[in-house]
Amino acid sequence: MEKISAEVIGKFESEGDANKLVYAPLSVPAKYRRTRIYMLEYEGDLGSAKDFVKRSLVDDYADDVFFTGEPAVEDFSFYIDYGMKPGALDLEKEAILSSHKGTEGFSIVALELVQRIYIFSDPSITSDRFVRDVCNPAIHVWSVTDSNGRKVA
Amino acid sequence: MEKRPHALLLKFPGTNCDAETSRALEEAGFSSEILPIACVDEKSLGSAQLIVLSGGFSYGDYVMAGRLAQLEIERRVGDALMKFRDGGGYLLGICNGFQILTKLGLLPEGSLINNTSGRFICRWVRLERRVDDNPFLSGLPDNFELPIAHAEGRFVAPDGAADKYMDEGLAALVYSEDVNGSTNRIAGLTDRSGRVLGLMPHPERFLWDSHHYDQDWRGDSDGKGSGYQMFKSIHNTISGEMAHEPG
Repeated sequence: MEKISAEVIGKFESEGDANKLVYAPLSVPAKYRRTRIYMLEYEGDLGSAKDFVKRSLVDDYADDVFFTGEPAVEDFSFYIDYGMKPGALDLEKEAILSSHKGTEGFSIVALELVQRIYIFSDPSITSDRFVRDVCNPAIHVWSVTDSNGRKVA
Repeated sequence: MEKRPHALLLKFPGTNCDAETSRALEEAGFSSEILPIACVDEKSLGSAQLIVLSGGFSYGDYVMAGRLAQLEIERRVGDALMKFRDGGGYLLGICNGFQILTKLGLLPEGSLINNTSGRFICRWVRLERRVDDNPFLSGLPDNFELPIAHAEGRFVAPDGAADKYMDEGLAALVYSEDVNGSTNRIAGLTDRSGRVLGLMPHPERFLWDSHHYDQDWRGDSDGKGSGYQMFKSIHNTISGEMAHEPG
């Protein structure tokens, strides 16, 4: 069984005001950028798996995709990864798996969908506010990674 | 008895403008049928002169607006929509339907992505018609209004392509002002045959005077709105073609 991770980022999108992510204004300026990550466990041909990602999950004109496993964005303060809890009904995942039926060359063993939010700010901004206002503990699991690649929450 | 042109509306999980679009088509003179995608095969497409992909959020807009609907159409009927067009059929995509037609390659290359504001926009817009002889738009004035409601309506295209679409008459509709960051303010595209039209605004939401936000607004003498005129235009085109068909 093999694994690939694909991080998809909008070519035409730029950093936005991080106040859009929270319910009350932030005390210092901060920017954010969203990407989405597909972690695929599969059996079969790597090329076919990558083709599936590019054909089904990436917009030819509007997205870039990175298979390196490294963050697609630089100079961030931290990033939050969040996704559905294991066992929760994830309709997006189900729809993607359903669309894979009939694709030749590989089979999907498991698929994990992660939404990633990069935050750009000075060190006085912490992840707590963003986690509280973005993630829903009833349905989401999440982690926070700092600029050195350390998981801090 | 006069035979009415038949419109087929393809419905995906999450499509939510099919009922009012069907009503608009019938108001303009079509017979119509809403067909869930699970029931669609090549044979079912053959009954229609017009196929409509109406607005909504097919498959919850998962992955990106229109992508999963595109994959499902390709899986079920392959390139049957292209054959339908090449065989003389017409295709209309409204809002999410526009996004799906773009992904299917039935419209000029490009994509509809998140509005520059990052927000869902729900408002009325003023539009400029940039083509004279399009079968969907021929009955409309040069400038008219329609409502929009979308989060992913910003049209982007490969370098230089959007300018080419403007020059070649493929950018059939443009916004009078920048509402969502769309390149060259493009609001609607047609293909080279003129048989396929995709647009972000919702014509089915402006059939009568009473739909307009200004209650004093008056359209034509019958009290019809711009959306009605759009459906009537394509109805008249298809009716004209049917009248000349043998038998």
